Amino acid sequence: MSGQLNIRPIIKKEIRQILGDERSLILLLFIPAFLLTMYGYALNFDVKHIPLAVYDEDRSPMSRDFLGNFYRTEYFDLKYNLRTAAEVDRIIDGGKARVGVIIPENFSRNVQANREASLQVIIDGTNASSTNVALGYIQAIIQSYSAKVLVNLLKPLGSSGVAIPVEPQPRIWYNPELRSAKFLVPGLIGFILMVTLVVSTAFSVVKEKERGTMEQIILSPIRPVELIIGKTIPYVFISLFSAHVVLLLGYLLFGVVVKGNYLWLLLAMFLFLTGGLGLGLLISTIAHTQQLAFMMAIVLTFLPTFILSGFVFPIRNMPVLIQAVTYTIPARYFLVTLRSIILKGAGVRAFWEQLLFLLGYGILMIGAATLRMKRTKEWGNR
Amino acid sequence: MPEYTVEVKNLTKRFGDFTAVDSINFAVRKGDIFGFLGANGAGKSTTIRMLCALLNPTSGTARVGGHDILFESEKVKENIGYMSQKFSLYEDLTVEENIHFFGGVYGLPRAKVRERMRWILEMAGLRGREKSLTRQLPVGWKQRLALGCAILHEPKIVFLDEPTAGVDPASRRNFWELINQLSEKGVTVFVTTHYLNEAEYCNDIRLIHAGKIVIGGSPEQLKKGNIKNPILEVECDRVVDALEILQKEPWVLETSIFGTYVHVSVEDEEKGRSRVRQRLSENNIAVKRMERIRPSLEDVFIHKIEEKSKEFQER
Amino acid sequence: MRTILLIIRKEFSQLRRDPRMLPIIFLSPILQLIILGYAANLDVRDIPTVVCDLDRTASSRDFLSNFFNTGLFTLKANVDTPGDVDAYIEKVSGSLAFIIPRGFGEKVKSGKTAQVQMIVDGSESPSATVGLNSAVMIVAKYSRNILIEKFERFKFLGFRPAAINSEVRVWYNPELLSSKFMVPGILGMLLMVMTMMLTSMGIVKEKEAGTMEQLIVTPIKPYQLVLGKLLPFVFIGLMDVMLTIVVATFWFRIPVKGSVALLFGLSLVFMISTLGLGLFISTISRNQQQAMMTAVFFMMPMVILSGFVFPIENMPKLVQFVTYIVPLRYFFVIIRGLFLKGVGIGVLWDEAVVLLVFGFVILTLSVRRFRKMLA
Repeated sequence: MSGQLNIRPIIKKEIRQILGDERSLILLLFIPAFLLTMYGYALNFDVKHIPLAVYDEDRSPMSRDFLGNFYRTEYFDLKYNLRTAAEVDRIIDGGKARVGVIIPENFSRNVQANREASLQVIIDGTNASSTNVALGYIQAIIQSYSAKVLVNLLKPLGSSGVAIPVEPQPRIWYNPELRSAKFLVPGLIGFILMVTLVVSTAFSVVKEKERGTMEQIILSPIRPVELIIGKTIPYVFISLFSAHVVLLLGYLLFGVVVKGNYLWLLLAMFLFLTGGLGLGLLISTIAHTQQLAFMMAIVLTFLPTFILSGFVFPIRNMPVLIQAVTYTIPARYFLVTLRSIILKGAGVRAFWEQLLFLLGYGILMIGAATLRMKRTKEWGNR
Repeated sequence: MPEYTVEVKNLTKRFGDFTAVDSINFAVRKGDIFGFLGANGAGKSTTIRMLCALLNPTSGTARVGGHDILFESEKVKENIGYMSQKFSLYEDLTVEENIHFFGGVYGLPRAKVRERMRWILEMAGLRGREKSLTRQLPVGWKQRLALGCAILHEPKIVFLDEPTAGVDPASRRNFWELINQLSEKGVTVFVTTHYLNEAEYCNDIRLIHAGKIVIGGSPEQLKKGNIKNPILEVECDRVVDALEILQKEPWVLETSIFGTYVHVSVEDEEKGRSRVRQRLSENNIAVKRMERIRPSLEDVFIHKIEEKSKEFQER
Repeated sequence: MRTILLIIRKEFSQLRRDPRMLPIIFLSPILQLIILGYAANLDVRDIPTVVCDLDRTASSRDFLSNFFNTGLFTLKANVDTPGDVDAYIEKVSGSLAFIIPRGFGEKVKSGKTAQVQMIVDGSESPSATVGLNSAVMIVAKYSRNILIEKFERFKFLGFRPAAINSEVRVWYNPELLSSKFMVPGILGMLLMVMTMMLTSMGIVKEKEAGTMEQLIVTPIKPYQLVLGKLLPFVFIGLMDVMLTIVVATFWFRIPVKGSVALLFGLSLVFMISTLGLGLFISTISRNQQQAMMTAVFFMMPMVILSGFVFPIENMPKLVQFVTYIVPLRYFFVIIRGLFLKGVGIGVLWDEAVVLLVFGFVILTLSVRRFRKMLA
């Protein structure tokens, strides 16, 4: 049993083939960067500029002042000042505004007379998360207005300096302005890399099957493990390059700096990429046609990584069964590691388990691909 | 006055700087087996694809079945059959599915398709394998199926691009029998091939080299007219060494290897014979047999191609 | 006509031949829909919270209970020193910490201001935003209640501070379930991904295999070829729509409030664009690999720019401009309108027209390119 791995010829051939298809190579190198740029700018969790429609039946200085609290902030944009309640309904229905505020005509009278005053708020709840945030803002505005009213009421009573009993002192770590870009960029990196990697490697073996060159390989003395590793290595380097371009862009465009140790980051990337490539190769050994390989690659990576990696939706909120499924998504581990290293500057004690998972995943995938390759070699190209 | 089913005038095709087909002219008689010969890259496939209206010429005209390839391409397609160099039937369909499909595409009524299917299965030896996946057929059968699909609609003109490439000799003979049958029925068969010996089976031949037609005519005409110098066929051992030795001799006009023999073209037969024996025995190569042969078409072609190349170099 | 049917039949025969394609085309959408319907959840809940209560009085405990009653915060750890808090925040994603200083209860009782430290992990900014806002609001309410209590003492003055109440009505999704928002959205995504991918690859595959040439040589007309290749995918797309509706209605209990027929019809209109794009991609790709990468190149931006998860209003103006040419954007409005709002064509008219126009433009351009490719 020769211990030496004869992977050089495979690597050479693979590189030649990759270089030969320039369009694919360019796409592979720069799609991730392009996507990061685009997504980074487009994506924003901050719920701001919510289109607002108001119907002020009261039309007093107080009601106007109250309403001003809404649209003078960057949270709401006053789009419609309406004359009937029915109009408000119609506008919300048509999706032209997402929040409607209706002030009844006795509002200011009630407040000044120290009676209970009420107002109506209609919210388009289709996007639950931004609705929640909007509700939060609304409540905050109403509460603080109430507080102002309260303070004004208390002044004439002469109590010296009513102090607010409890004052919060918030400190935000790692992302002080709470910019969603900082939250999203690591996730984006994982998402983009995973999809592009798996899709591109999913081809590498199937192409040979479809073109018929697979038979040559089966007949040659090349061992399955050599074939798989030989095919993986060029792609690992290409994707590492791509990943670095993405990181660089993340820094240039969105100010995402790697706070922690770069070497750990490199290791994490390497492990993650290897796992992704392994998956791509596994798909490649299973599918008989390129079409199928692509479909499998997309189905297994696109939506699952987007939704289950913790990129956008927090894993801890998912039903337990689904959380179990997320353990199969390598991007999940990668994301925790990325966030730890990039945003938190944490040491390895914060993410060593993740690295272990990534390692395990990589070995599993490459192993499975090798096994299937072995079967193909032994059973012929069925 | 013979009827010409394909007429080509100054047909040219350029791809950027590269001229694949350089102003060629020829005409094909109805019912002939017309051979278009040349090495790979000589321009055969490009020509055939233009004639099938798959590719537009850069300049020049051609009429196929009486219709212009540029302006009446639809009509051209209705009257021709085409079998491409690369196997181009659906590998993931069964034999009968492929036949049904193409039959329908050619507008043949159901009954006719069934009739033709029976004929094709018989002809291709695929009786009983209608339900086999095309992918699983051996190469020779695949080629026959492809031919069958090309003539499903009984076209008057059939274009076959390297139909016997990669096929075993027995299947090749078989194939040419089929082509003969077609020709007997009055179908014009336009064949391209790089197997020079297949030229013997054709009625009319054109040899194309670097986009130009080098020589043309029937096999007899070509053999008679072209080679004046005698050709000696030498059977000996160490054929490759013998070739090298003889090539260097000034009195040797042309040499080539044919199978395990060397063909030597000389000016004078008597002198040539003795000189060959002499040279070879000097090098310890025993001559088992040497005789003058009638030049085959291959000899003619190689001679012509070398002539052209020399002309080109001298320019 | 017969030719078109022939091609359709051939496409289906070919699809059937690869038994693995079928589960991918029909099962995977369902599976994805189910998993994602459950997972896609932006609700901020159960924020892992760590508390360092240096006061340990009844006041501080009472104060803290206001947070953990809401379901927004989940108490995960009670630590003794602020240093432990630091370690926790570093390790646990999206966590929040309260540090209550010693003397909290006293200050509150004596009418002075007590300060409470709140530390939040900003790397998960969505939950951090909501968590922080809510915490601040809860503190404000708590303060207000204390003030009101104080003024109970002035009751004899007949004084009672009144509240401003708001009656909030949440339309279309009163329980504010994220899944109601996400599930219909996933339909749009699945449809686009499936039809675009299958189309672009399907045509390039024939180019690669050489069968395209054999087709061109026959008297088949380009429009027959295009229709023959695209119609099977229309059929598959509609099947996927149906499957999605079934899963959404019976599994997630999100029935289509509007007209199902309209949903099918507008899905068809949407597919004109995606199929056209798929066709376009197939004309610019030499082999299947290129077709796929190009398809991915188109699809990934479209998914994000369509308003699927991230509201378009929040994007920079420049990017918002770009979203106007993403067909999926309009389709999402239609899907959500039909599923959640139950509106009719009257309201969705604009979007429908845009999709129609888009579809025809893209399809026409692509067909023209395709014909040139054939010649």
